[in-house]
Amino acid sequence: MTVLATALSDFLHAAVEPQVQVDAIGIGAIYALMAVGIGLVFGVLRLVNFAYGQLVMAGAFALAYASDQDWPVWLGIVLCFVVVITLTLAMERVVFRPLRGKPAATMLVATFAVAFLLQAVALLIDQTDDTLGEPAASLAKLNVPWTILGTDVRKITVVAIVTAAVCLAGLVLILSRTTVGLHMRAAAMDFETARLLGVRADRVIGSAVLLSGILAATVAVMLTVQQPLVTSTFALRETIVVLAGVVLGGMNRLFSATLGGFAIGYASGLLGGALPTAQSQYLPSILFGLVIVILLVRPGGLFTRGPGPVERV
Amino acid sequence: MSSSTLVVSDLVVRYGAVPAVHGISFEVAPGEIVGLIGPNGAGKSSTLNAITGLVGPFSGSVRLGERDLTGRAPEVVARSGIALVPEGRRIFGELTVDENLRLGLAGRRTQRGVAEDLERVLELFPVVAESRARSAGVLSGGQQQQLAIARALVAAPEVLLLDEPSLGLSPAITDTVFDALATIRDSGLAVLLVEQRAQRTVAIADRTLVLANGELRLTLTPDDAGDTERMIHAYLS
Amino acid sequence: MLTIVAPITLVAATAVVGTFFERSTEIYFINALIAVAIVVALYVFVGSTGVLSFGHISFVAVGAWTAGVLSVPVAEKPATMPFLFDFLAETTVGNVWSLVLAALAGGVFALLAGLPLMRLSGLTAGIATFAVLEITNNVLRYYEKVGPGLNVFSSVPETTDLQQAAIGAIAAIVVAFAYQVSRFGRQLRAARDDAPAARAVGISVYRQRLGAFTLSGALAGLAGGLYVHYLPISVDAVYLDLTFITLAMLVIGGMTSLWGAVVGALAVSGLDSLLAEAENGAAGIDLPSGSRIVVVGALMAVVLIVRPSGLTGGRELNLGRLLRGSPGRRGAA
Ligand SMILES: Nc1ncnc2c1ncn2[C@@H]1O[C@H](COP(=O)(O)OP(=O)(O)OP(=O)(O)O)[C@@H](O)[C@H]1O
Ligand SMILES: [Mg+2]
Repeated sequence: MTVLATALSDFLHAAVEPQVQVDAIGIGAIYALMAVGIGLVFGVLRLVNFAYGQLVMAGAFALAYASDQDWPVWLGIVLCFVVVITLTLAMERVVFRPLRGKPAATMLVATFAVAFLLQAVALLIDQTDDTLGEPAASLAKLNVPWTILGTDVRKITVVAIVTAAVCLAGLVLILSRTTVGLHMRAAAMDFETARLLGVRADRVIGSAVLLSGILAATVAVMLTVQQPLVTSTFALRETIVVLAGVVLGGMNRLFSATLGGFAIGYASGLLGGALPTAQSQYLPSILFGLVIVILLVRPGGLFTRGPGPVERV
Repeated sequence: MSSSTLVVSDLVVRYGAVPAVHGISFEVAPGEIVGLIGPNGAGKSSTLNAITGLVGPFSGSVRLGERDLTGRAPEVVARSGIALVPEGRRIFGELTVDENLRLGLAGRRTQRGVAEDLERVLELFPVVAESRARSAGVLSGGQQQQLAIARALVAAPEVLLLDEPSLGLSPAITDTVFDALATIRDSGLAVLLVEQRAQRTVAIADRTLVLANGELRLTLTPDDAGDTERMIHAYLS
Repeated sequence: MLTIVAPITLVAATAVVGTFFERSTEIYFINALIAVAIVVALYVFVGSTGVLSFGHISFVAVGAWTAGVLSVPVAEKPATMPFLFDFLAETTVGNVWSLVLAALAGGVFALLAGLPLMRLSGLTAGIATFAVLEITNNVLRYYEKVGPGLNVFSSVPETTDLQQAAIGAIAAIVVAFAYQVSRFGRQLRAARDDAPAARAVGISVYRQRLGAFTLSGALAGLAGGLYVHYLPISVDAVYLDLTFITLAMLVIGGMTSLWGAVVGALAVSGLDSLLAEAENGAAGIDLPSGSRIVVVGALMAVVLIVRPSGLTGGRELNLGRLLRGSPGRRGAA
């Protein structure tokens, strides 16, 4: 009993360290962006995109390529956005569109397949130069620490938090102030009625997918700074965790899904930063154990009110 | 604005193998209300669904003036000038009244004259005008029904389809809604009114079609309003 | 009757054909038969409940760990698994027992995991089963008191030959068939198609699902036992890739029939083997390694889009339909 109490108190002490807190918020910010990207598409298509991480991975490969070609950083970032957005739109056209209206289970398994396919393609590309993984070295300088009030904060953590805040604010503006934003919200609530009123399905879906692609590219830049060695499984772990977070928060609302993404990122940052090494290797177990417990208590989502998800797998 | 006639010919609707509408034909011209009444399950909503593109017709055609709208997607039909006030209103309860109205604009063919149209519609439904900033979900049933009609009208349609607009409304509100329909007709729209309240429909409509088991059985005129029930009963039994 | 005879015949035929090849090719057949065992296990749950499970490979993993740890000779355990619990370090069981215990471990684990999970449905259930996979993988990867951790399972007797793999696959098929024609299996299928109606006539969907999950976990455990006796596997062999490929097999074959599960497992394994040969430069073509997943992933996506009910249409083999559908009959009619 005392052992447990000491361990808990050690954990809590470590967890309140500003250092740990800042890092956890940084991870939460990136996960929140991924959650929005997944949630936007779910809103209009009722499709959980398992392949979201592979979009991020494609962006990371673009950055590594640019770095390898000694392109300036900004040009690499442009390439990253072009590649990710193109791939996202292609995915919508080739996979999502024919799947429209199919059962949720079919869509989930299909994007699962696409995820593996893209990962395998990336592996093939990766191996053409006989190395495993490509370094995106030119971005690494963003990973250096700043000391603010005695706390070492990596530049990228600040960038991530600020970027996430800006992206989320921008998204809120788009959703609440623009016509296409209104159409997207309406489509997420009741697609059929929205169409009966003249809201164009293709345009609404296209916009949601485009926004989710932009977010994936943004995430790709920030993750690549933190993990400059780009392999075919890049962002895979993150996606699995974010998916759990999104379902945990509540898929039905973009807001709750985003909070869910943030919460699971924050929790994993906290656990990773504050647990002693011997235990931190069991971080996934603790995290997913928590996920199961929370899903049992609140199957409809942690941050939602009312009944659970509408879809049925 | 040019107005055209809605022409439905030999419409057949099926859900899988189950037939719901067996080849009906009718027209709704500008400046007239055509009523469509019949018992539950007669195929009234199915007829509207086929017009709006929610279900593909099994055969037959739907035209608006020169345009063939048979089997087109709902948004295409809406943008061609056919607006629907759906069964059960289907208001976006989490959006504000104003946002619901803005959604109605999605069906417009031109963005010119939005302000004028909006003003005219709000004049017709003062309750809606008073609650523009409120969440649509908190409105009463009658208010929501008026919002649903207003939302359809801001699209500046040529044809207005209504699916049981008086369902669940008090007699007083029903009066308001029916009065508004008369005004809408007089402004030159073609109105197709699906209703359960036979007598009131027959009284307001220029013609009323009686549908049973997916077939048109009878056409009534306002002169029949006095003994609608008797006529329908005599004919259908 | 054909429902059970056809899959067994197909599996037996695969095994018999396999005997004509040398060891280097024979392994593809053994692989395919183990795949049948896993996919049939998965089918017992997914096919009868309609709920997707990303967690079944956990039960394969637990089965593999059980059989593997228990069958390494005591003398060789300290070398590869120095941190084992004493009772594991001091015990060794024979081939058959290790498989039985693997099935038992898979079943018990599925039962424990299912107790909470089977209360969930839909997407939530899918993600929760994924969580089980993550936890299992994480624990087996680092907890060296129950296995080799990050190392491969060396020194496990390689007893899974064509014959054993075929017997294992057929056993799985027989159990799956017996279950689906039993009262429980039929009730669960009724509940899959119309849960409220099933509840109305007093079927507890929760208990039925839990039963199916447990049975399917036991079959998955058995398959894991066969797997570890076939190859020196590591924890990565029973993780995401295997989850993907077995789900692909089930989906491509058709999720709602036993015939679909078996056909899917064999068809995809066959294709996979051909591609593997091609990757090794056989048959004149030279595919880069990794092309297999590209092809299988694309195939799975195409099947889902074009024919979501799978190659078999998700139906059992039916001679009547086969004959009616044949060109000869159609010409005569
Ligand atoms: N989506 C559907 N799938 C299958 N059958 C349907 C569907 N919608 C309607 N039907 C059937 O088609 C027939 C006509 O239904 P419809 O909704 O058009 O009737 P209605 O006249 O609008 O009735 P109500 O007055 O109840 O609204 C009914 O028998 C109904 O059961
Ligand atoms: Mg109706």
